[in-house]
Amino acid sequence: MNATRSAQENPFVTFAGNVGGGFLNVAGVAGGMGVLLGRIAMRMFPPRIDYPELRRNLYKMSVKSLPIVVITALFTGAIMVIQAAPIVKRLGAEGLVGWAAGFTTLREIAPLLTALMISGRVGANNTAELGTMVVTEQLDALRVLAIDPISFLILPRFIGIVVTLFMMTLYADALAILGASYCAKALLHVEPSSFFHGLTSGLLGFGDVANGLFKSVIFGVVMALASCHFGLATKGGAPGVGRAVNATVVASAAGIFVIDYFVSFILG
Amino acid sequence: MSSLVHDLGAGTFDLARAGRELYSVFVRTLYYVVRGRRERGAVVRQMYEIGNRSFVFVTITMGFIGMIMVYQSGIQTKRILPEFSLLGATYLELLTRDLAASLGGLMLATRVGAGIAAEIGSMVVTEQVDALRMSAADPIDYLIKPRFLASIVMTTVLIIWGGFVAFSAGGAVGYFAFGISPRTFASVQLVGHGDMITGLTKCLAYGAAIPVVSGYCGLSTFGGSEGVGWATTRAVVNSSLAIIVLNFFISGAAYVIFPK
Repeated sequence: MNATRSAQENPFVTFAGNVGGGFLNVAGVAGGMGVLLGRIAMRMFPPRIDYPELRRNLYKMSVKSLPIVVITALFTGAIMVIQAAPIVKRLGAEGLVGWAAGFTTLREIAPLLTALMISGRVGANNTAELGTMVVTEQLDALRVLAIDPISFLILPRFIGIVVTLFMMTLYADALAILGASYCAKALLHVEPSSFFHGLTSGLLGFGDVANGLFKSVIFGVVMALASCHFGLATKGGAPGVGRAVNATVVASAAGIFVIDYFVSFILG
Repeated sequence: MSSLVHDLGAGTFDLARAGRELYSVFVRTLYYVVRGRRERGAVVRQMYEIGNRSFVFVTITMGFIGMIMVYQSGIQTKRILPEFSLLGATYLELLTRDLAASLGGLMLATRVGAGIAAEIGSMVVTEQVDALRMSAADPIDYLIKPRFLASIVMTTVLIIWGGFVAFSAGGAVGYFAFGISPRTFASVQLVGHGDMITGLTKCLAYGAAIPVVSGYCGLSTFGGSEGVGWATTRAVVNSSLAIIVLNFFISGAAYVIFPK
């Protein structure tokens, strides 16, 4: 008894316990997401999926997210030019502004910021919806009716999130370039035509765009898994739903950044 | 056609109403910062909640973003310039002026905004906020003001730390992937007063915007556990949008005020 108490009060032991607990927690979440991915994959070949539910989710996730993606992308493109402008001026190469703003936008910033916004709008919302279903025992009701919750609820949402993020990244790429070209005209007096020429004159290729789009699919998978996992693991009423949403956005953001590094490095 | 006009009009009215309420929350928060009750413990508790508990998250995300940024710019620099001597200096300049504050701010909007909205939203649906109002206590004084003060301090601290982590991680990638010596990389020759002032202004603006926007989303929660989820979602989206829009205006103003 005495020994346990002194062990609990020892700050080093407490610290070690916290670190170990944190690792176990992360490992538990990663394992849960892995198992969920396995279950989803099993239902994908051959596809056992509820199509009306998929269509509803695609509408709710994609069409309803368009306004925030449009705003984010236009402003982001403009910000990239504002940041690139002093560098371009220093090099005395105004014709290169299309390249300077374009490569960061297409390869990194557009996929990354779109993923963060969609994670806030769609991933969090999806967790809230699933979490509410779990705490009001609707999932148990589905199981009682012999309906598989994974193919009825999770698979359509998983596919919906991945497809949404991919399409929104396409929009964001185009709109960010548009915002950037007009910002370049306003700030640096570079005509949009020479901006686009700087973009397409050979320094940037289709590979750069494909790089960003490929990453958006990976981000979509991570986000969908985190969102569905935390939604299904919700417990404890209304505060529990809030906590689950919080955990989802944190896990998605951290997961997206960590995976982004490794994918960028491998694609290099 | 008429339904389109109707939707547009309804959207505009909603936006105007939300803007007015947000403004009112902000003004009342400022009023209570000056005239409200003094409760030292509350601010410190929120500083722990917002700052210390986001530390690991900010360190990990900013570390990885720093490595990505240097790696991508290194690849691009290789295509047009013969050597990397300016990469570190330019990176530090960009980090000071924009990236540290904006990406760190977005991370904190996610982590802190969701936390604030979930907590206040749960209080609203369990009628604790109504109980406060019934005791003649303004929820803004009790709930939002401490978070506001704590967030301004902790956002600044975390963003400076995040910038340091991003720069160090970037330096490591520069050394291992492109062979840039740390001495060349860690160059402050391009960072001026203007960059520092811009970066710090952004820290303060984001630190103020996150608790006000997400506190407003939390207070306007209705309808049980689904409502809490909705409020949390809106808090994340709206605080991130607020950061992107503020970034646009602050960067634009800085470009005009501090010409290079």
